[in-house]
Amino acid sequence: MTDSKKRVVIMPCSGIGKAYGSVGREAMYQVVEEMRPDATTTTCLSLLTLGDADAQALVREQPTITIDGCPSACAKVSVEAVGGKPATEFRVFDVYRAHRELKVRSVSELGEAGREMARLLAEEIAAKVDELSK
Amino acid sequence: MPVLPKKKVGLISCSGEELPEGMLSRVATLQALERLRPNETVTLCLPLFLAGNDKERAFAKFYPTIAIDGCDKRCAARATEKYSAPPTASIVIPEFLAARGLDAPKTRRQMDAAGERAADALAQEIAQRVDEILGVKREPVAEPQTAAESEAVTATCSCGSGIPVTRLVIAGKEREIVALPLIFEQFRNDGKTPAELFDAVKIYNAIPAELEAAYREAILCAYAAHTLEKREG
Repeated sequence: MTDSKKRVVIMPCSGIGKAYGSVGREAMYQVVEEMRPDATTTTCLSLLTLGDADAQALVREQPTITIDGCPSACAKVSVEAVGGKPATEFRVFDVYRAHRELKVRSVSELGEAGREMARLLAEEIAAKVDELSK
Repeated sequence: MPVLPKKKVGLISCSGEELPEGMLSRVATLQALERLRPNETVTLCLPLFLAGNDKERAFAKFYPTIAIDGCDKRCAARATEKYSAPPTASIVIPEFLAARGLDAPKTRRQMDAAGERAADALAQEIAQRVDEILGVKREPVAEPQTAAESEAVTATCSCGSGIPVTRLVIAGKEREIVALPLIFEQFRNDGKTPAELFDAVKIYNAIPAELEAAYREAILCAYAAHTLEKREG
């Protein structure tokens, strides 16, 4: 975790078994590393579920955006379980509903369409980061 | 007819978004799931132990598990133990890399040549541990199974296909038994004997030797009630 003062926390589900989990993770990296590196940060979701004090403080004290790849909504549920309130909850499936032509290839290889889906989601997230950073 | 899930090894990878070793964990786990041992392994997203229900939490009680962790915080091993059952085996990637003289990828998002080498070696290590747990003997250098041999080459999470959990009072205490309705239905349909029924329950549940008689009695009572209920429609 880098210096996280006044940063928006982008928290994707870990999603190892779902292609949309991989899309959510890739969207997070695009925002945190490329689009809004100075305004955002992330942490491991597993740390949160295990009660890591730093991870919990981060999502309680900073505006947090969750990204979920399946209806179990692990990212949202895990943030809420430790007393955080997601400022916005993104669902990868909503991007697919708006762009049904984009078919993700697999969990381990998103393919061109999957990367495009991640880019579209990242743009939405970046716009939300700008709102929250005002 | 209900079909009991095949006994497989559950691979639990840390989510590890923050670290290159986290990506390594996910990539190697997926290689084992999709390419090396597609018919012998299953996975579950780690945070589902918290976000899911008791069916998800029964995962590690039903499947022997291998936890693969990207750092010494050992989230995968600790979460599996805390929310389900102790993992059968555990791999901590920095220790694994040090022992093999391998390097982690330089970034947490993109694999490089060093990362690919490490992921391949780690996936082979996972596959070997799977074989050990299942008691399978293979040639030292295991070749990936071909697509024809595998049921699926795309890893999928086991969430939503949760293992049912039944709570029975046994020896004065409420205890969890996994997969009981599935076992009951299979035995009812096959017309097998109560002795065989208890043996099947023991395959999927760790039953303390000193409580075996109490477990047997409680399970047979539950089976009688289940059969009666089915007869009465």
